[in-house]
Amino acid sequence: MVKIILKEITKKFGDFTALNNINLKIDDREFMALLGPSGSGKSTLLYTIAGIYRPTSGRIYFDDRDVTEVPPKDRNVGLVFQNWALYPHMKVFENIAFPLELRKVPRQEIEKKVREVAKMLHIENLLDRYPWQLSGGQQQRVAIARALVKEPDVLLLDEPLSNLDALLRLEVRAELKRLQKELGITAVYVTHDQAEALAMADRIAVIKEGKILQVGTPDEVYYRPKYRFVGGFLGNPPMNFVEAEVENGHLKVYESKIPVPAQYRELIEKLGIKEVLLGFRPHDAEVIKGIGEGLIGEVYSFEPLGREQIVTASIGGTFVKVFAPEGEHFTFGEKVTVKIREDRIVLFDKKTERALEFLEE
Amino acid sequence: MKDVETRPRRYEWIVILAILLASLPLILGFSLLMLSSFSREMVTNLDLSSFHFTLENWINVFQGKLATTGGIRTNILKITFNTLVVALGVSGVVTFISALAGYSLSRIDFRGRKHMMVLLLILHAFPGVALIVGVYLLYRLTFPQNPDVIRLYSFFYVILARAALEIPMSVWLMKGFFDTIPWEFEWSGIIDGASRIKVWWKIMLPLIKPGILAVALFAFLAGWQDIIYVRTFLIDQTLATFIEANIEAEYSHMPLIAAAGTLYLLPTIIFFLTAQQILLQGYSGGIKG
Repeated sequence: MVKIILKEITKKFGDFTALNNINLKIDDREFMALLGPSGSGKSTLLYTIAGIYRPTSGRIYFDDRDVTEVPPKDRNVGLVFQNWALYPHMKVFENIAFPLELRKVPRQEIEKKVREVAKMLHIENLLDRYPWQLSGGQQQRVAIARALVKEPDVLLLDEPLSNLDALLRLEVRAELKRLQKELGITAVYVTHDQAEALAMADRIAVIKEGKILQVGTPDEVYYRPKYRFVGGFLGNPPMNFVEAEVENGHLKVYESKIPVPAQYRELIEKLGIKEVLLGFRPHDAEVIKGIGEGLIGEVYSFEPLGREQIVTASIGGTFVKVFAPEGEHFTFGEKVTVKIREDRIVLFDKKTERALEFLEE
Repeated sequence: MKDVETRPRRYEWIVILAILLASLPLILGFSLLMLSSFSREMVTNLDLSSFHFTLENWINVFQGKLATTGGIRTNILKITFNTLVVALGVSGVVTFISALAGYSLSRIDFRGRKHMMVLLLILHAFPGVALIVGVYLLYRLTFPQNPDVIRLYSFFYVILARAALEIPMSVWLMKGFFDTIPWEFEWSGIIDGASRIKVWWKIMLPLIKPGILAVALFAFLAGWQDIIYVRTFLIDQTLATFIEANIEAEYSHMPLIAAAGTLYLLPTIIFFLTAQQILLQGYSGGIKG
């Protein structure tokens, strides 16, 4: 139960900079997701917190204690690996007991603690099996049990669900979130799956190329992305972007014109920006047949998903995806108008791809 | 992989035939040797009429007779024991050192690591015979004065010298095995509170068991079969040097030598039959996850 403070962490592997001046504060009992595409440095950051990697520069604090030079075993962290790294030559019991044995905990206490944690994760009947005799989901639980048995201050998870099949992933996701809150443990969770991050985390840190682009609650990063990248990385389908020119109080997109959203009027005036990217989420717009008020384009494709359908419209060659209710029938090439909820529009500077409201930060 | 058809079945017999033809001289030689060890006379030139079954040779071997008519007595059991000591010694030293060295080369990024790996390859390419003069010189220089320990020292020295020849390749093999183990296993151990050496012993070694077995077996056979080093340094005889020394002696009864020769071959045959799967795994460098 500690808060973690990362101060100006930089990690280089030879000439390659994996982490570039990372500043992050993770609160006590918080569930923080590190979200980013593969190769973004999110796992490196996790391993730096664990102590496996030593940062090239910068400091790491657990509460007020500077742990930058502290070896991993003295940081009291539990780590669940992507491939779980269960020791194949040890039975489940021995796997879970291993961290305690290394701490020279008395035999009886080991027995008690292993059974406790096994019960919590519903694997008490698997204790005398070998890892290879278990299903993926069961191995996953054993890995979590092994990380939790030593009652760590921090639980670190490196894409722990990515080796599970889709349905199981949803189940474990909910359970893991509940477990973290029940134990009141500080958790850092690395994932490339935006849905996982949104569903589980208290806050999300979006990482790209070794830099943190944005830290915020799921709502914040979802609805108020600081960068085009963040908007385009979160959501399924992700945020739509169309290029627009500012022309006396209007945004000109290809051949259509819509008024500048109310919340941006002052800002645009102040910044004097001419070229912007207009971003909106697929569920924050509707597709109206025919030509009307909004972005005019034509239907490129449509994909029914049961309850709703995704309509891909081409607006002057730029594709946008919009959710439409079921039962509405579209034809390829049909003229449509995409009408966007004004208050949900996010504008980005076209050059820097930063959101206008964060441009001056 | 067995179930994957890589080439049409009908060509398979050609391959089998080719393998049989290639190994025919060996199979023939070994069969004749074994046959002779159970015969009163040598079975040579494929002349089976000279085969007269007897267990005499084997009985004599274990009673330690070299010639059937009394004559010189050599304790073959003792020689077998010597051979075992040398072979196990070489195997032990090689396995221990290469398991440690292979781990370091695979996992620890120390200064000069790359050079060391190249050096190991060069050392491996160096023929042992070429080194023997220098190794002998060292032997003379370190030879103990105390006559009681001379025999022991010669064992000690031959084991070390022979092991040194095996180590470069074994270290490479071991490094290959350690390379196949994902880092996560090691990190997991380290986070759980294990030292590097404990990780090596408790996690890594069990994971590369097939590799250890392969290296140990090859080193064992190297020690078991060696003639030149054993003959140069060891005061006592091993099976290899014993057979080599007596094969052309006039007083020796050849079928008896054949029995000794079969005894000498035994571990090789047993190992390759029983450990086939493990050795194949060893060659492909894989482990089951």
